[in-house]
Amino acid sequence: MSGAAIKAEGLVKRYVTWARRGFFRKEKQIVEALKGVSFDVVWGEVFGLLGPNGAGKTTTVKIISTLLLPDDGNAWVAGYSVLDNPVEVRDRIGVVLSVERGFFWKLTGRENLRYFAMLRGLRGPELERRIDEVLETVGLKQLKGADKLYEEYSLGMKARLALARAMLHDPPILILDEPTLGLDPPSAREMRELLVRMARREGKAVMVTTHNMFEAEMICDRVAIISEGRIAAIGTVLELKKLVAGEVPVVVKFSGMLGDSLSRVEERLKHRLEISKLHVSETDGGFTARILVEAGLEERVVARTIDILTGMGFSVLRVEVAEPSLEDVFIAVTRRGGQGASKDD
Amino acid sequence: MIDIARAEFFANLYWMKNNKGLLVAMVLWPYIMVALVMGLGYIFGSPEIYAARMGVRNPVLFMLSASVVAMSSVTIIDTVAGYTLYNRWLGTLNYILLTPIRTPRLLIAAGLPTALFSPAVTVSSVMPAVLYFEGLSGLVNLVLIYFIIILGMVPLLGISVIAASLLLIVKEESNIINSLVPFLLLVSGVFYPVGILPHALQLVARAVPVKYVVDAAKLVSALSTETGAALFTVLYILALMGVTYNLAAFLFVGRVDAKAKAKGVD
Repeated sequence: MSGAAIKAEGLVKRYVTWARRGFFRKEKQIVEALKGVSFDVVWGEVFGLLGPNGAGKTTTVKIISTLLLPDDGNAWVAGYSVLDNPVEVRDRIGVVLSVERGFFWKLTGRENLRYFAMLRGLRGPELERRIDEVLETVGLKQLKGADKLYEEYSLGMKARLALARAMLHDPPILILDEPTLGLDPPSAREMRELLVRMARREGKAVMVTTHNMFEAEMICDRVAIISEGRIAAIGTVLELKKLVAGEVPVVVKFSGMLGDSLSRVEERLKHRLEISKLHVSETDGGFTARILVEAGLEERVVARTIDILTGMGFSVLRVEVAEPSLEDVFIAVTRRGGQGASKDD
Repeated sequence: MIDIARAEFFANLYWMKNNKGLLVAMVLWPYIMVALVMGLGYIFGSPEIYAARMGVRNPVLFMLSASVVAMSSVTIIDTVAGYTLYNRWLGTLNYILLTPIRTPRLLIAAGLPTALFSPAVTVSSVMPAVLYFEGLSGLVNLVLIYFIIILGMVPLLGISVIAASLLLIVKEESNIINSLVPFLLLVSGVFYPVGILPHALQLVARAVPVKYVVDAAKLVSALSTETGAALFTVLYILALMGVTYNLAAFLFVGRVDAKAKAKGVD
């Protein structure tokens, strides 16, 4: 197969929302979800679209899957335009939009697959053979889950069935929106292994969206970081890490009563440290602040951070100077408004 | 179209197999409905008065047939108009729209198995009562009524498809179905003559296919040379409505589909 598997060019999407102003009055508001998103996915690679909630990942996936029309721009899937040839596009993609729903509860896994296979025109022995194949590939046959009612499935089994449905018609392109969201670690690992196998062994183009940096770093050949509707940076994980060369990530773990929201704590730290490349998240048994510091200034920043956090009533548990990761790239490019070496918009 | 109908048919079949309670409810429904209507009827009058007013010989039998018509109509509206809503709730709508089937075809073909299935189950459920009251000739009439119901379900399919496509773009989803079902039953005169309705509603009733199915059911139960001619008129009306409503639905869904895709389907 030649050319890009997926090519998005200048995708723009605006949503109209209505904010209530009083009992009868509503005010029209336009939210620009995508502001000119461009990227391409090549055959045989796992491509990650990485971004926080509300960054535009799902909107991008829906446009590429022909479920949503862009207001501007176009996307081509296996050479077919999502605007002009939606039926041809749908024939060539397998999509997973959510792993926890999307099936008939009172039907078994196999019956659900039969329904969707019939909608795709499969019939007779070919239909049964294909269902057996995909059930085996995703491991549901081995788990004896194929003939259980969907309502009895665990989340891990639901995820497997969702992937099985996406592969029913053996599409050359797989598009998955947060495929490991909510899965326990073993199920998430198996799902990742499956996706990598699809790309490496079968030459499929696999596009995943995630906000899990670890996952993106582990399975993606290339990653695009999307923030506020724009591609902030794009490249291989190594290329992206070069964007934070000369900067050192300082990780501070702390605990205590959260009097304010986490984002307020982050804002206060940013303000008092005068550093914008900083992210605070909730972790097991406390909180973690990840701060990108110019090399050579680590010690000063660590001492100052400990002072500030202690002053806010937190106990600092551990401080560590880490190796740069994709998370640091993410913090860097999303905090400085998309100034990546290979930025795309 | 055949692929969609086949998929929906098997999904219905699997659903029934895995939901025996639903099947029992479908079989019992006409009897429960008749008991309810008869119970209420006895408070205000008698079966004789009812038979005279409705112009039927056997009120119980008529009510059983009427219940079959009502049940089939409600099921088809619920299934087809609620198709979008139901699949949206389950999260299956996007995956159905992701198949290479065009939305107008999908919405029209998806209701076909229900249009055949639901009347078949309810007709079978009243068969013992019909056999008891009317013997074999009643059974033949019932089979005839079954085919008339199916003919009547075709235009109803068109109306339901229009409602289903509206659900692709509006937010107050369930309100459409919640008001459509009682309204269509109100003006169709399933359990009472349309003549007792206000004049405006009588005019509306002329555009509702269920009314003609009820008329046809009455004519079948008193089949003669005169009623036979009237029956054919009713059947022509139903066939015409079937073509008109479904054509309108096809055109309507095409327009709504483009709007829904611009807005996004959840």
